[in-house]
Amino acid sequence: MGIFQKLVSFLGINKKEVNILVVGLNNSGKSTIVNHFKDGENKTHEIVPTVGFHIEKFENKNLSFTAFDMSGHGRYRDLWEHYYEDCHGIIFVIDSTDTFRLIVVKDELDTLLQHPHIRNKKIPLLFFANKIDCPNALSSVKIAASLGLERIMDKPWHISCSNAITGHGLHEGVEWLTQEVRQIVATKKY
Amino acid sequence: MEFHTSKWLEAHLERNAGLKTLPRNLILGDIFGDGDYRLILVDVDFGQDLKANLKVYRGTGLVANQPLPVLPSSLISFYNDLTEPYLPVVGVSCDTDFLIYKNNKPFYKFSVPSFPLTTTESNVWQRLPHVTDESDYKILLEKLQSVSFSTLSSRSQKLLSVPLNNIKEEIDKYSGEEPSIHPSITCSTTLRKNSEDDIAVSCAVIGTENGYIFILDPLTFTVLHKAVSANIKSSPFILQTSGLYDVEFRILVICRENHVCVIRNGWTEGKILFRTANAIIDAVHLSVDKSLVVATAGKNLSCYSKKGNKMWTVKTIHEITCLCLLSLKSSNTYLVGVGMRNGAIHLFQGRHIVDCISAPDTPSALLFGQMGQEEHVLIIITIAGALNFKILKRTANFNLESQETSGPVVENRPLPLPKRSKLFVEQVMREKQNACDIHQRFQQDLIKMRLTAARAMVHLKPDENAAGNEKELVKLSARVTGLGPTFTLILNVENMSNEKPLLGLSAILHCKTSLYKLSSYVIKKMETKVLEINEPIKGDNSDKNNLIRVFVIKKDGNQPVITASINMPDTDFLDIL
Ligand SMILES: Nc1nc2c(ncn2[C@@H]2O[C@H](COP(=O)(O)OP(=O)(O)OP(=O)(O)O)[C@@H](O)[C@H]2O)c(=O)[nH]1
Ligand SMILES: [Mg+2]
Repeated sequence: MGIFQKLVSFLGINKKEVNILVVGLNNSGKSTIVNHFKDGENKTHEIVPTVGFHIEKFENKNLSFTAFDMSGHGRYRDLWEHYYEDCHGIIFVIDSTDTFRLIVVKDELDTLLQHPHIRNKKIPLLFFANKIDCPNALSSVKIAASLGLERIMDKPWHISCSNAITGHGLHEGVEWLTQEVRQIVATKKY
Repeated sequence: MEFHTSKWLEAHLERNAGLKTLPRNLILGDIFGDGDYRLILVDVDFGQDLKANLKVYRGTGLVANQPLPVLPSSLISFYNDLTEPYLPVVGVSCDTDFLIYKNNKPFYKFSVPSFPLTTTESNVWQRLPHVTDESDYKILLEKLQSVSFSTLSSRSQKLLSVPLNNIKEEIDKYSGEEPSIHPSITCSTTLRKNSEDDIAVSCAVIGTENGYIFILDPLTFTVLHKAVSANIKSSPFILQTSGLYDVEFRILVICRENHVCVIRNGWTEGKILFRTANAIIDAVHLSVDKSLVVATAGKNLSCYSKKGNKMWTVKTIHEITCLCLLSLKSSNTYLVGVGMRNGAIHLFQGRHIVDCISAPDTPSALLFGQMGQEEHVLIIITIAGALNFKILKRTANFNLESQETSGPVVENRPLPLPKRSKLFVEQVMREKQNACDIHQRFQQDLIKMRLTAARAMVHLKPDENAAGNEKELVKLSARVTGLGPTFTLILNVENMSNEKPLLGLSAILHCKTSLYKLSSYVIKKMETKVLEINEPIKGDNSDKNNLIRVFVIKKDGNQPVITASINMPDTDFLDIL
């Protein structure tokens, strides 16, 4: 591992700029999640529905992330695909209390996976089953099953439960993503 | 028609939800002000005695259920004020009362004012308590019967149905009190007060069984305006509005007597807009063109213009049970959902079917709007009691489809052909008959045209090089400005020909270098029809032989197109100074 780490830093990946696309339906908690990773003084206290998208930067384990916090509102969802080409990882946020719209989530996920810029790319997908603190929240297992995540064979994916307000579960997920992105960036170098 | 990929996502289907909901008894509203739109509906229990419950769904789950005093006729929701948080009220029309709920709690009650009795009826009731003889009863009842049944008070109506030997009992019940006419509310809707915004104050509009329409103040729930539907007996059962109460509005009153009335600002009596041949089942007003789509018995779907003219009629495949408006504001599309027996739902854009959906069985009520966080949800409640939610896909596009599939149109009466179409039809007929001739003629003309084109081409080819050599077609003029020793030379090349463009021109400037220093000696690329070269030239020194020559040449040409010599002004006097 030590050698690997050295190699990585030797290759200059340490300070690599990584683009992360944060998508999901509106009201799922994307902005709240991104807000959690911001430094203390940059944090916003009132989160309003995003219009279009926001770009936020934060660092994790020597990778400097640029997060594209997209709006999940129906009329802005067609903006997502414009960022597929240049992103190194995708965070897909799901409101686990919104059982009613799970089918819409599946539809949007399928559209995303079939997009030419995603289909043949080995790109890590991190799913957050958010709002797990709410009493009627579905478990991540149920969500994974109803979205048919097991069909995703050619991309690394991971689902973690989260509570974006307290931050519970967010670090675990992002840790996984960091690891995956690091590996992919490293293999590309060879 | 075949639709291979569905435009709809099947969000939820509960076959045994056991709901009995009539049209206009379900609404969507942000009734808790949290941006999460709930479904509110009236569930009727057709048991021994009719009972009804007001149910609230959040997503797929039932979150509130409260009993209603009587079977309501309709349900509406509107913003009655704009204090934060924005909370719409829910209005339930129960018999003679209009109950208003806010935050899912009773908030206010409006009772329809009573109407005076006709003099005959009033006289009868004054005398009734004092008679004892059966024959006297008979005379009085006959008098009552002479009044038209629908204008009688409900007590008189009941009295007429009581057997003669029970009549005394029935009359004694009321102990000499005079009856009053208290009509029940049969329909209700909303009318925007002064703004077209998404969240804006609206007035409740209610219609009563005796044909009166009341517009209520949003804040105080007192009557702002009262009007009667028409000068003939009308029992409204659907109301549709457009416009703003404070500016200009129109209320369409759809009546059981198969006519539709219109009421406008300030009118106290409406006018009949049109009548239909068959019983009206449901109607939807399209605010875009102010037309009214009406479903009538006998599988008819018709559209009437703002003025009440029938614009089209189509036959549906099954009997229609309910209609609903699907407004997709983002794409400016307005569709009418037509629910039919056997569970088919067709979406019409104008008279064309743009989509077919299937419900588990015959839909009894349809509603389209925002539910939860999702903007485009179609709610289907069927006669068998199933509850079905379908979500319109984000990518669904009805506009394209309608252009492609405007094919099969059921038309019962041929439209009068417009003049131009007639011309076109005749032309088509001619073409059909003389196809061979026309084809040959066309081929001949085509060949001729090709020949002409080729000739012109040949004619043009040698011309091309000489284009500029025709001196008179190019004009070159020069202007020298400045006092010296620095001058500005402005060259103006003008194409005098109307037909030929001058392309690929460049200019060479020539002068005695001992006299003048030019800022550039070659001007490349002069194009466009009218050329202007603004080339400042710096001249220096003075001599008598102060000429600058300009040669305009064509690319590949060995002869200049035009030349000019420019006499530069004297700068001698500069020396004197
Ligand atoms: N209870 C609970 N509420 C949450 C959680 N995460 C987000 N929320 C709330 O959900 C609402 C929507 O969060 P946003 O972050 O604005 O959602 P978004 O995905 O960015 O929405 P758009 O920008 O409209 O696409 C906010 O009121 C948050 O406070 C969570 O984990 N638990
Ligand atoms: Mg957001």
